[in-house]
Amino acid sequence: MPYPMQLGFQDATSPIMEELMYFHDHTLMIVFLISSLVLYVLILMLTTKLTHTSTMDAQEVETIWTILPAIILVLIALPSLRILYMMDEIFNPYLTVKAMGHQWYWSYEYTDYEDLSFDSYMVPTQDLNPGQLRLLEVDNRVVLPMELPIRMLISSEDVLHAWTVPSLGLKADAVPGRLNQATLTSTRPGVYFGQCSEICGSNHSFMPIVLEMSTLKYFENWSHMMQT
Amino acid sequence: MLLLCLRPQPYLHLPFKLLGILDVQNVPCARHSILYGSLGSVIAALGHFLFTSRVRRSCDVAVGVFILGTLGCWFPCRYNYAKQRIQQRIVQEGIKNKILFESTHLDPERKQIGTKSDNS
Repeated sequence: MPYPMQLGFQDATSPIMEELMYFHDHTLMIVFLISSLVLYVLILMLTTKLTHTSTMDAQEVETIWTILPAIILVLIALPSLRILYMMDEIFNPYLTVKAMGHQWYWSYEYTDYEDLSFDSYMVPTQDLNPGQLRLLEVDNRVVLPMELPIRMLISSEDVLHAWTVPSLGLKADAVPGRLNQATLTSTRPGVYFGQCSEICGSNHSFMPIVLEMSTLKYFENWSHMMQT
Repeated sequence: MLLLCLRPQPYLHLPFKLLGILDVQNVPCARHSILYGSLGSVIAALGHFLFTSRVRRSCDVAVGVFILGTLGCWFPCRYNYAKQRIQQRIVQEGIKNKILFESTHLDPERKQIGTKSDNS
């Protein structure tokens, strides 16, 4: 759930997002230590009266500041690649949902078992009910079962869009003429918000995505209700 | 009003960010690593100064030991944390399967007993 003046990540809802948060902590610690070292060297440089104007070579320090950054990059790259491959692991999805980007709304198709499709428009500010979130609520939410792997196929009918749900660690470009696949697994029920993440015209900021993760029974009742 | 005071309040983990970037309160292992790194750096710098009386070099030693000490605590702590997380997921899955499939042919305990009796 996003909140005003937020700087950090939203709480993780999927295992991939948890891994991404831990990777972020790891990289941030490395960045913090490098920043501390640079700050210390800066203070040293600014507080010395010594000068040396005839440096000819500096083989030792040049070796150190070549090898050390290479080691640091390897320490960052290995966990990064692990998560990258984890995102592309083969799985057996229980459900496939297509998300199509339009100017300026999303449409969703659940065509596995029966023909269900609907459009999802942002609720305008003047039509919001008390307690609803400005620029985030939609008229038809994407209801999905939780704790089950779901395949999302993302594309576009006109220009580039991007389907994003930060708390699930999902972002995929919606490219016209191309199908991009994303895997979705929610570990807990709830409502998760996202916004279009690729500039697509004047109302790019006004086509949000809302996922409602619930029990399988609720999902079945909802899909039956949407079809009738 | 009295009841409100008696109701247990949730503990608020307000973020405390070192250099404005590292949230030591909420990042697992961060507080532990920074504290041990700081302690190690202070001890090493003091010891170096006592032996050599060189202030500047002692400060360099402090920074070096801080970085190495923090990293030296950080990596093992994160590795153990990741191992614990994996074990927690396995246990959670096992408890869920036990509850769901108890007394059915899919009961994990029944499968284990079956395997043992086949081996004997």
